Order: sequence, then structure tokens, then C-alpha cells
Amino acid sequence: MLVLFLYLGLYTWNMRTGYLDTVADVTGLEVSRWVLAPGKWAADSAELLFRRYIYFIGLRQENERLASDLEKTRSELVDATEKAALAGRLSDLMSFAPPEGWVREGARVVSHRLGPNAALETIMIDKGTRAGLKVNLPVVLPFGVVGKTLRVSQNAAVILLVNDLNSRIPVMGQIHRTQGILAGQGPDDPMEVQYVPQGSPLDEGELLITSGLGEVFPKGLPVARVVKVEPTGPTLFQNVLAAPLSDIKTAEEVLVLKKPPLPPEEPQVEEEKEVRPQLEGKGKRLRPPVFDNKIDQAKPKPGPGPGGD
Amino acid sequence: MLNLLWWVCVVIAGIMAQRQVPGVDFLAAGFVLALQEERWTKSLWFALAAILIQEGDGSLAFGSGLIWYGALAAMYFFGHYLFEAKNFLFMIILGACQGAMHILLSLMMASLQDWSVAPERLWLEAIVQAVVFPMEWGLLYIIYHNLPLSHARTV
Repeated sequence: MLVLFLYLGLYTWNMRTGYLDTVADVTGLEVSRWVLAPGKWAADSAELLFRRYIYFIGLRQENERLASDLEKTRSELVDATEKAALAGRLSDLMSFAPPEGWVREGARVVSHRLGPNAALETIMIDKGTRAGLKVNLPVVLPFGVVGKTLRVSQNAAVILLVNDLNSRIPVMGQIHRTQGILAGQGPDDPMEVQYVPQGSPLDEGELLITSGLGEVFPKGLPVARVVKVEPTGPTLFQNVLAAPLSDIKTAEEVLVLKKPPLPPEEPQVEEEKEVRPQLEGKGKRLRPPVFDNKIDQAKPKPGPGPGGD
Repeated sequence: MLNLLWWVCVVIAGIMAQRQVPGVDFLAAGFVLALQEERWTKSLWFALAAILIQEGDGSLAFGSGLIWYGALAAMYFFGHYLFEAKNFLFMIILGACQGAMHILLSLMMASLQDWSVAPERLWLEAIVQAVVFPMEWGLLYIIYHNLPLSHARTV
């Protein structure tokens, strides 16, 4: 009862004066504030640290993922650039219209000279007899002639380049139509146009095209550009030098020109059936039909030599 | 089987190397390594493969490869009476002989076909051949004798 009395007395006194509330505010509240504020800062800091740690873990993972994505994107970019370059080159190749009576066969350059026996300036391509290639077919790029097929296997062919010492191509000037023989002088030297008579017009910078006089190159393919024309004194011919139209050694794809296969002949079976009984009745033998093109292909032809057209 | 795989790898690596360095034979060192094993069937098979590859890839008429590897085998057999067969000095001499032979053989075979070959390039290729051969042989020798092929070699 005494305690209750004291409590009620204190309570009502505090309600009237507010001293105890003030004391509580000044002491307890302040203590709590000074205790809680650093505690809260510590807690916040700890929480922040924890969050950052978690964040850093995520960041590291994200960084790794981004690095991986970047690497992948770089790879794709290189791939896309390569494809774009390839598309450009193929587009250029496809823009080449083959001469009438010829069809083009695209091929990739596999290698340049290979092994100790590769004495001549050659490149190797990835098409051969399976693609209808044979020896002495012209090989071209959109800017001009690259060379001709020298050796052919089932799935590969060796191309003799125009700048080889043994290459000989009958050419003529595109403007003046002066004829000569374009002879290679090696990969690092300009080509020579031989047998151009003194006085025949031929300008420096004039484009040389194939004259079609040989059996290999069709007429009108650009080959080289004249870089020097000078008379050579007492000789019958001028000294003419020519440069290839582009660096042949950088070619990655080429076109091989070939004759299209002849269309199959009309079947003569019905006709034979009609003729055979009459001939058999007379005791005569019927000759089989002759396919000239097949016989020509089967016969080994004496070629014009490794370099000559 | 491992042994066969090794020699196939030597041939493939040789072809790839030849693509990078035109005019130089990277299969000759493998052939000499096969000769040093003194298992003649192995040497013959390797020589056959090398001859066919070089003849097929080359632009000279068939026959250069036969002379090339035949002369290399002859030089090896002649030289190994005078030198230790697996001596690096012997390989340097073999490389020099190959360099000289490259010039002579290319000029001879090209002239037989009435072709012209740039002699400056042949000189350069000969020097590279002479330098590359002993180095490549040394590399192949070290790899071959450190591979787990000892069982296969004795079979």
C-alpha cells in the first residue's frame, strides 16, 4: 500500500511538473541515442559491407560473364569481318563474266609452292578432275589472268603462275592491238612482252589482254599492264616490260575457266531399233555411235609444253 | 600403333611446315630418323610416302623425289661408316649436302624438261634446307626418344 501510495504520488507530481520526464529525456534518451547511433552505424556498415561482399561476388561473376561475352563478341567480330571480306572477294569473283563458251569453277588456294620439287612459281587449289578440271585450263581472278593448270589430281590442281620464268602467253594491247608473247621473269621482276616489232604502237599503261592465239586462254582476258616501252637499237623487237594487274600471291580464291560439258546427244535407240532389223536381215553389223568429245578426252594429246599457251 | 601414329604425325607436321617454307623438304629429317632406327621396312614405307608427297606436290616431272631420297639414303649409309650415325655434326654435313643437292637436282631436272628456274631462289632455299635439316632432326630425335614409344620401338 505504501509503495502504491508513493508511486501514485510520484506519478501525479510528474504529471503536474514534468520533471521526471525531463530527467528521463535528458538521460535515458540521450544514452540510448549515443548507444544506438554508433550501433546503428556499425550495423549499417556491417550490413553494407555484407551487401557489398555479396555484390562483389556477383560483380566478379558478372565480370567473368562479361569478359566471356566480350571474348565471344570479339571472336564473332573477327569471324564476321573475315566473312565480310570473303563475301567481298567472292562477290568480285562472281562479277567476272566468263567468255562465251566457257564456264567458271571457283576454287580456294590451298598452298603456294610446296616441297623441294616445287621449282616453278605455282599455287595449289582445292579442285581437280572431280570438278571437271584438266591440264592447261586458264585460271583467272576478276582483275585478270593468274595462270593455267599444270598438274591435276582428283581433288587438287597445281597452277603455273603467269610470272613464272616458263610462262608464255600470247597477248595484245587493248588499244593498239599490237601482239606479243608475255613471258614471266620471276616473282619479283616485271614480265617481258617478247616479239613486239620495232615501230609497232604500244603505250605505257596500256592493258594487255590475251590474244586467243593459243589453245589455252580465250581471247580478251586482261593479263598485265605495260610499264615500259623502249626501242632496243639494232634488234628487230622492242623492249617491253609489263606488270601483273595485282599481287597474285595474295589470291585466296580463283576461278578456273573450263569448257562446259556437251549436252547429251538425242537418244537414237528408237531409230536404231528401226534400222537394226533391216541391217541384221542383210547380215551387216551396226557400228556403235561415236561420241567425238569422249574420244578426244581419252586420247592423250601432245600438250604445248609447260609454259606455252 | 603408337609408332605408326608418330610417323603419321611426322608426315603431317612436315607437310604443314613445307606449306610455310616453300622449296624446303621437311620430311627428309623424318626419313633419316627412320633410317637410324635400322628397321628397313619402316624406312621404306616412310620413303615411299615422302616420295609420293614430294612428287605430287612438286612441279617437276616424276623422278626428282626418287633421286632426292635415294641420294639422301646413299649419303647416310656412306656417312655412317665415317661418323656416328646419330651425331649432330653428321646431320649438319647431311644438311649441307642436301642444300647443294637441291641446287644441282633442281637445275638438272628443270633443264631435262627444258624449263628455267631462278638460281637466286635455289640458293636461298639451299641455305634454308641446310640450316633447317639438322635442327629439325634434332627436334624429332629428342621428341622421339622421349615419347613412350620404347615398347613400340622394340616390337
